[in-house]
Amino acid sequence: MTARRLDAAELELGGGLEVLLVAALEGLAPGGRIEVVSPSRATALELHGWARRAGHRTVGELMPDGGPYAVVVERGPTARVLADPIGPRREPPPLRAGGEFHSADLRDGEPAPGVAGAQRGFTPVRAVAELGAPSFHWALNDRDALWADDVAELAEQATRAQWDASRDVPWAAARDLPDHMERAVAQVMTFIAQNEYAALYVPAAFLPHVNPAYAEVVMWLAGHIHDEARHIEVFTKRALIGGYAGQALASTELSLKTLLEERDFSGAALLLNVLGEGTFLDLLAFVEHHAPDAATRAAAHLAHRDEVRHVHFGISHVRRRMAGDPDQRASLVAAAERRAEKLVEMSGLSPLLGEGLTIMAAGSLQPAELAEGARAVRDLMQTMEDNRIRRLQAAGFDLATSTHLSELHTPNLM
Amino acid sequence: MSRATAEVRVGCVAYHPRIVTIWESFLEHFEARSVPTDYILYSNYERQVSALLAGDIDIAWNTNTAFVAAEQQLGGEARILGMRDLDAEFATVIVTRRGETFEDAAALAGRKLALGSRDSGHAAILPLHYLREQGLDAESACELVRFDTDLGKHGDTGDSELRVVRAVADGRADAGALGEPTLAALRGERVPAVADLEVSWRSPTYYHCNFTALPSLDDGVAQRWFDALLAMSYDDPGQRQAMDLEGVKRWLPGDRTGYSALAAAMAAGAPET
Ligand SMILES: [Fe+2]
Ligand SMILES: [Fe+2]
Repeated sequence: MTARRLDAAELELGGGLEVLLVAALEGLAPGGRIEVVSPSRATALELHGWARRAGHRTVGELMPDGGPYAVVVERGPTARVLADPIGPRREPPPLRAGGEFHSADLRDGEPAPGVAGAQRGFTPVRAVAELGAPSFHWALNDRDALWADDVAELAEQATRAQWDASRDVPWAAARDLPDHMERAVAQVMTFIAQNEYAALYVPAAFLPHVNPAYAEVVMWLAGHIHDEARHIEVFTKRALIGGYAGQALASTELSLKTLLEERDFSGAALLLNVLGEGTFLDLLAFVEHHAPDAATRAAAHLAHRDEVRHVHFGISHVRRRMAGDPDQRASLVAAAERRAEKLVEMSGLSPLLGEGLTIMAAGSLQPAELAEGARAVRDLMQTMEDNRIRRLQAAGFDLATSTHLSELHTPNLM
Repeated sequence: MSRATAEVRVGCVAYHPRIVTIWESFLEHFEARSVPTDYILYSNYERQVSALLAGDIDIAWNTNTAFVAAEQQLGGEARILGMRDLDAEFATVIVTRRGETFEDAAALAGRKLALGSRDSGHAAILPLHYLREQGLDAESACELVRFDTDLGKHGDTGDSELRVVRAVADGRADAGALGEPTLAALRGERVPAVADLEVSWRSPTYYHCNFTALPSLDDGVAQRWFDALLAMSYDDPGQRQAMDLEGVKRWLPGDRTGYSALAAAMAAGAPET
């Protein structure tokens, strides 16, 4: 058999020669040979050991005094990696305007797999998995139970919309509010921060069970979790910046704990994203509108921007899920009913929250303004209900069901 | 089936915790091939050889030194039930610092030569033997710098060889002997100590480890165990990890042709005390 000649020139093993050797040997069938020529006797002597370790063998050498030296390496029978070949180079994924590579184009038009093997590992999109990896046991292996048609684009937007709760809020503006106002704001901010924890823990509990085949969902959930971390941060900071703190209410804890108990991804999307975060959109808009200072306004504004995305995902997912599987409608209603049963003893908005919002809307403790503030809070409750029903309809429920679900929703708002 | 009643008992020396990983995997393979096997760990090859001779184990996974010692004590020929592809073409190399290579063994006279554990065939006994064959009695002509770590494990841990290359790299020795696969591994793992070392000398190839059995082992059992061993496949994803840990890509039949140099060296008095 003739051997292809490979000129090692000044390259040594451990100094780059091994890369050339691997590339040359990979191109050969088992039994194929290359003749490695080196001016270094030391390198020639060392090739034998290298070849054996790499699964090949040496089948001859020429070691004339003064060199150059030649060693013939024969490719061994074993594959270095127990995986199917990579396949030929293909048309790369498209770029969008400005040269952007969007996550929605990762799969180049092919849909994500409908079902993914529960055992598969962390195999990136289109990568070829090596055999012999340890088995995983993912619980969420069904695309339709996780997917939203725009999930990749939403994850993309989440990345683009990042902000900094330390720097992007004019904190100094909230330093010197009057006592009564600061106490009210601190209580409202504490309430919101409490709820932001649940908004983080719910997606975080699903994330480690999502099959890695659904990279877009993993990226989306990670972004969601990161957003909520910032919400916890910004509202905790706002609660503290004026020197007060608020009370973390037990009724809120009770409501949030039942949210964490929802184990179905779509059920959680309905309860958290559509109903809870949806209701919070109206709350945050209210806080932004009535904020007594620029810091509170900025915090509510920035969080609201993120919540729009979270609510959008929920609506998009629930609508797709019910369209693909009509039985889901009943399961989702049952999830809301189950939660409501656990919350039967809760009634109405917490007085502390209601009072805090009223003072914020009033702007002072003057009777006329307080009456105005109380009316604004009543209007807010109505707006929340109207919008909840509208969002539920957008998610694919009929009006009667939407109204029913909205009525079941927790008085805690989330 | 309880392993306590396994048909074949294999002894191996626990030179590293990975031995357990390796043999737990190998045992599944033998079980699947209907040759129920168990392994028994020893902390040194001397005890393992005694256990083989005493019939406490049926097969010993031996270094070349342990195999030759077993035959010497047996006063006859042991049965060899296979070896790794690696064992069939083992060699020792001598490394020197960059720019200080030599071509003729005689150049080592008067220099400091580092050796691994004195009971290691590849890192001590055989380099001395082959240098002697090439006309250099290193024990008298060189200043030997010995690293007798892990005695009883015949160099398996690689610890003494790591000390050898470090001694050469930092100038405590001028040259150092180690197993060729050890150097390839250190190079592959980009260990800094070997970065500026070059190979000056390579020994003839010889055999290294083997599965040693007594001549009295039942032929049928021996054959079935041997067949199962050789059926192990590096292309089987369930077996690759253990085979990688054991440094084997393919099991080969063994014979005694590759042990004559070591037998001669050990008969001549080595390992010295
Ligand atoms: Fe949030
Ligand atoms: Fe959110």
